[in-house]
Amino acid sequence: MNTETIISIENLTKQFPEGDGFFTALKDINLTFKKGEFTGVVGPSGSGKTTLLNIIGSLDKPTSGKVNVLGLDIGNLSHKESANLRNKHIGFIFQVYNLLPVYTVFENVEFALLLQSYTKSERKKMVMESLEWVGLGDQASKRVTKLSGGEGQRVAIARAMVKRPQIVIADEPTANLDAANAHAILKTMKKLNQELNTTFLFSTHDEKVMTYLDRIIHLRDGKLESEEFISHENDKV
Amino acid sequence: MIKFLLNGILRDKSRSVLPVIIVSIGVMLTVLLSGYMAGVFGDVVTQSAKFDTGHVKIMSKAYAENIDQLPNDLALLGINEVIAPLQEAYPDMDWVKRIKFGGLLDVLDEEGESKGQGPVTGMSFEIYSGNDSELKRMNFEDALVEGSIPAAKNEALLGVKFADQLGLKLGDEMTFIGSTMNGSMAFTVFKLVGTVRFGTAVMDEGAMIIDVADAQHLLDMENGTSEILGYLDNDVYDEEATLEISKVFNARYADSKDEFAPIMIPLKKQGELEELITLADSMSALLIAIFIFAMSIVLWNTGLLAGLRRYKEFGIRLSLGETKGHIYKTFIGEAILIGIIGSIIGTIIGLIGIYYLQEVGIDISSMMDQIDAGFMMPSVMRGKVTPNLFYIGFIPGLFAMVLGNMLSGMGIYKRQTASLMKELEV
Ligand SMILES: Nc1ncnc2c1ncn2[C@@H]1O[C@H](COP(=O)(O)OP(=O)(O)O)[C@@H](O)[C@H]1O
Ligand SMILES: [Mg+2]
Repeated sequence: MNTETIISIENLTKQFPEGDGFFTALKDINLTFKKGEFTGVVGPSGSGKTTLLNIIGSLDKPTSGKVNVLGLDIGNLSHKESANLRNKHIGFIFQVYNLLPVYTVFENVEFALLLQSYTKSERKKMVMESLEWVGLGDQASKRVTKLSGGEGQRVAIARAMVKRPQIVIADEPTANLDAANAHAILKTMKKLNQELNTTFLFSTHDEKVMTYLDRIIHLRDGKLESEEFISHENDKV
Repeated sequence: MIKFLLNGILRDKSRSVLPVIIVSIGVMLTVLLSGYMAGVFGDVVTQSAKFDTGHVKIMSKAYAENIDQLPNDLALLGINEVIAPLQEAYPDMDWVKRIKFGGLLDVLDEEGESKGQGPVTGMSFEIYSGNDSELKRMNFEDALVEGSIPAAKNEALLGVKFADQLGLKLGDEMTFIGSTMNGSMAFTVFKLVGTVRFGTAVMDEGAMIIDVADAQHLLDMENGTSEILGYLDNDVYDEEATLEISKVFNARYADSKDEFAPIMIPLKKQGELEELITLADSMSALLIAIFIFAMSIVLWNTGLLAGLRRYKEFGIRLSLGETKGHIYKTFIGEAILIGIIGSIIGTIIGLIGIYYLQEVGIDISSMMDQIDAGFMMPSVMRGKVTPNLFYIGFIPGLFAMVLGNMLSGMGIYKRQTASLMKELEV
């Protein structure tokens, strides 16, 4: 297994203006992530999970401290540079799958490639491969409005994976799914994690998710409470 | 990307239909009004050229300065010396004499008593004394209500309402009383040979039409005329040509101190027509400006609504790594596309409407009775399909759509990527 560090966080503090002062959402976080991790950030609602993923995903900036993602200092990126980082290297999966309703399954996934300079046939190959990964190869020309919730979230995974990002960030990806669909999604992601060595970062307070994780980071009131590494040597996926 | 956006526009009716309708309506109205105005002003120019101004008009400088008073005492004399070189220089043009004059018409009954009198506007054309160009131009045959066109000395036409008021019948005699160009009394008996209707109050209610040779004789103006009108080949008006011909002609007399030296004035520079033509141009510009303004505001609002509806889409695109600038650009790109579609639809509908106006027209003769315009107003309002109608609607159509969306699209720049996760949670 590759042990290259791709994310390092030093003394990260994030504050939001609140009334006359500040609300501290993250305080003095120190963490590193290696390539190929399948890690969950766990904690009660309001503990700072989304805030942390936002900063790692270059959607937000630290108030103080250093966050380095794939060699880039998140705090110093321009809007364009952070857009470029997301465009090339980071895939997002949201709690709600947020597909574009006027487009087909294929087009929704293809959209993630349009900002890069792939040819049409390259895009087609990549999109179909990505749809195969999530088991929707035969639904490519369907409108996404015709899909079930579980299928929708699988399209969202395909969209996040199609450009083969280094990092996939998923904010409570199973919160809106029933147990069967949640398990299917997690199995799919775990399989991609193992086959493509993509780093997955989740936030969750869903027990089902935790059973799949290699590493759990516990947050409470913006502070890193504890960390545990879980060995799955004997598990079957 | 373009195909992608196009698919979005085509499939999401709420994104395209309303703006397309708004743009189409605005563009259609622009085309209709522009074509209508082109028709109206074009008609005014044609009518005016026929009855009054020619394409160019030659007068003595003194006459030109007092033209409102029809100062026939300032008429041009020795006119053959003026016309002959012009005919040589511009063989395709037609040069005709016109004399307008005022006076009284007196009508006698069987006993020789005066039974009616009225002020008269005299107009004279080359009816039987010239070639037939004026007959064709003025269409006297079509204007005739009864009788025939003057063919011999001292035969006259009267406006049909005027003849009625004076109680005159064909063959009746009437006496014109006025003054010659030298200021002595003019007194001639004319025979009514026909009545005419031109559809304009000036002509139908107070005009007497005679041959210009009779007018010269009446006013003691042999070998003279108050006005020489020039018409371009086939009577097709060409503003540039008239300006050029006038410049060349007037240069020859520029240094003359003689107030009876001739001066040529092109149609565009004559009296109220100049104001009217300027007015027509600025009205078109104003009209377009108003449409741009009104449509921009409406489209700004539909753009805001579209932006709200697509809030999520823009959020997803931001998360996928599209820059705000790029999203904004594609938003404007879509606006241009919709603007073009709407402009095409609006232009087609507008052109159909104008074509109808051009071929059928709207009769406003009843309205014209109540309006006393200073120029010859036609009684049937028509549109005119001019080349600029094919593109003029695109100006407000595209401009308003792009402007409206440039304003409404600014919201994209207010988006905080930091709150995307939260916004996309629901
Ligand atoms: N943009 C913001 N402005 C102000 N407060 C915020 C903002 N984002 C998050 N917070 C606050 O920071 C805390 C952590 O939020 P969040 O990271 O969303 O928690 P979690 O995802 O664990 O539920 C919450 O108390 C929340 O109210
Ligand atoms: Mg959260």
